[in-house]
Amino acid sequence: MKRYALILTLVMALAAGFGCAKKSADGAYDDGLTPEMRAAIQQITDARVYFAFDKFDIKSEYKDMLKNKADLMKRYSTIRVRIEGNCDERGTQEYNLALGERRARAAYEYLVTLGVNPGQLEMISYGKENPAVQGKGESAWSKNRRDDFRVVAH
Amino acid sequence: MKKICLLALLFCALSPIGDNAAQAALRVDIYGPGQNIVNLALAAPLNSSRGEATGMGRDLQRLVEQNLGFLPFVRLTDPKSVLGGTVLAGYEPPSIDFKRFQLAGSDIVVTCYWPEGDSGTRSVQLRAFETNTGGRLFGKEYTRVSSSELPEVADRFCADLLEALTGSGAFFRSTLAFVKKTGTMSANVWLVKPTGRDLRQITNMPGEALSPSWSPDGRFVVFSHIDPKSHALGVWDSGSKKVQRIRFPGNVVIGPAFMPDNKVAVALSNGKYPVIFLLNHVFQKERILEGGDSINVSPTFDSTGTKMAFTSSRMGGPQIFLKDLRSGAVTRVSKNGTYNTEANLSPDGTLVVFSRMTDYGHRIFVQDMVTGMERQITYGPGSDEQPSFCGDSYFIAFASSRGGGRGIYLTTRHGGEPKQVPTGGGGQAAFPRWSAAVK
Repeated sequence: MKRYALILTLVMALAAGFGCAKKSADGAYDDGLTPEMRAAIQQITDARVYFAFDKFDIKSEYKDMLKNKADLMKRYSTIRVRIEGNCDERGTQEYNLALGERRARAAYEYLVTLGVNPGQLEMISYGKENPAVQGKGESAWSKNRRDDFRVVAH
Repeated sequence: MKKICLLALLFCALSPIGDNAAQAALRVDIYGPGQNIVNLALAAPLNSSRGEATGMGRDLQRLVEQNLGFLPFVRLTDPKSVLGGTVLAGYEPPSIDFKRFQLAGSDIVVTCYWPEGDSGTRSVQLRAFETNTGGRLFGKEYTRVSSSELPEVADRFCADLLEALTGSGAFFRSTLAFVKKTGTMSANVWLVKPTGRDLRQITNMPGEALSPSWSPDGRFVVFSHIDPKSHALGVWDSGSKKVQRIRFPGNVVIGPAFMPDNKVAVALSNGKYPVIFLLNHVFQKERILEGGDSINVSPTFDSTGTKMAFTSSRMGGPQIFLKDLRSGAVTRVSKNGTYNTEANLSPDGTLVVFSRMTDYGHRIFVQDMVTGMERQITYGPGSDEQPSFCGDSYFIAFASSRGGGRGIYLTTRHGGEPKQVPTGGGGQAAFPRWSAAVK
């Protein structure tokens, strides 16, 4: 019994030692991210750009948000972002793949215009194959016509 | 190997019965505006003792009946309406009492004869006669037939019968490629006969396959493949049964389509907009077929490879256009509606079938390139999409959600009640594409 208790204690100690994103003495995390960088990644990925039906132009309401993303990416030049263009379910699949690419490209071009290094960006279109929300009606469709921003390297 | 030998024996041994078979006067015009109906009776299958064949004979009859049920211009005669019944004294004139079939309204009677009996591995003879003249449309003998080969015999006989009546037996000689979606970003390519037989999965890849297209020689199926990181061109080789995933510079690989010369056209990234590229025989970029400052996707070709229909946003919303690849002239095909996509050009080049977004979902329309007339051929419910012409330029397969989940359905250039192709469940079936007819 004593032996099992010892093994259990050792396993727990090892598990604690391998905990991810553990803070070190200088305030950085074990994965190399400072709290500021972690917050920057959060801001880059959390905010999405939404589009009108069959459109790919960036609405003015999203320009400040994209500027903020651009500033963060310029500040943290190791961050690499994949822009994922998406569509709602109403259009047809092949055309939506092209439209999703145009949506991803619209954000890409805007970020590059704002000074982001193109090497920090990549694009993909999922068309209507990867909806954010299920369901019918404008409230669901409007959430699916979007660009997602995924940090793929930092 | 054993199976290959057996099949080789079976199909090498196919032979027309008699050299002096009367040529059919009876033809069914399936292409004209007033589609004919032909009434067809199946005589009871006979065995060597001239009694009714109740083993493989009955099974083959059932398969032929099922096949003929896919032909909207064929009305099967109810055996109960044939005075004196369908068990005949013989399988060819003068032993056939044509009068009883004429009285039942039948235009054609099909006889089936098993000279060695109908159990084990046997030969079978199938003949079709015109009831008014007693003339033979055609006859075929299939040798060394086992019960597992009956579906193949039924398909081959029905293909020959269809060809004798309409000029093309492509429907029963083709295989549909389609995709089955089993979850978000998860779909693979499958094959099935239009009758629902020979269902099989040919790819098993993580990610989503879309837009399959057969090579004219039947060796390859190409398709778009999307995984979380990239688009690629998927190439399935029927010889090796392996799939190759070919990447291209840029972000998109959309709607590949084989041309009659076995080259592939596909929409790829090229600057700001996807453009339609022609690839060479080893799937490398050869030249641009259509591009510009707009979305250009979904190429489709006639059987000569000189006409290409495609979807373009050059006038705002997506519309269908036709390009003459010799002159380079582009004309607009879809004149109505604000969202027309997924064109498919009939092999004879006379029709463009496409889907249009309506207030009630997508619907399928046909544009006649000769008369300029447009016609709606599906009416839902749900959404009808991704139409595809069979090699006969008559049958059209499409994907529809009319049954709840998405499935594959068949209709014709004239419309009519769609018939579902069984695809085995376990996912949403879409993107049906016909192979060339294989004799």
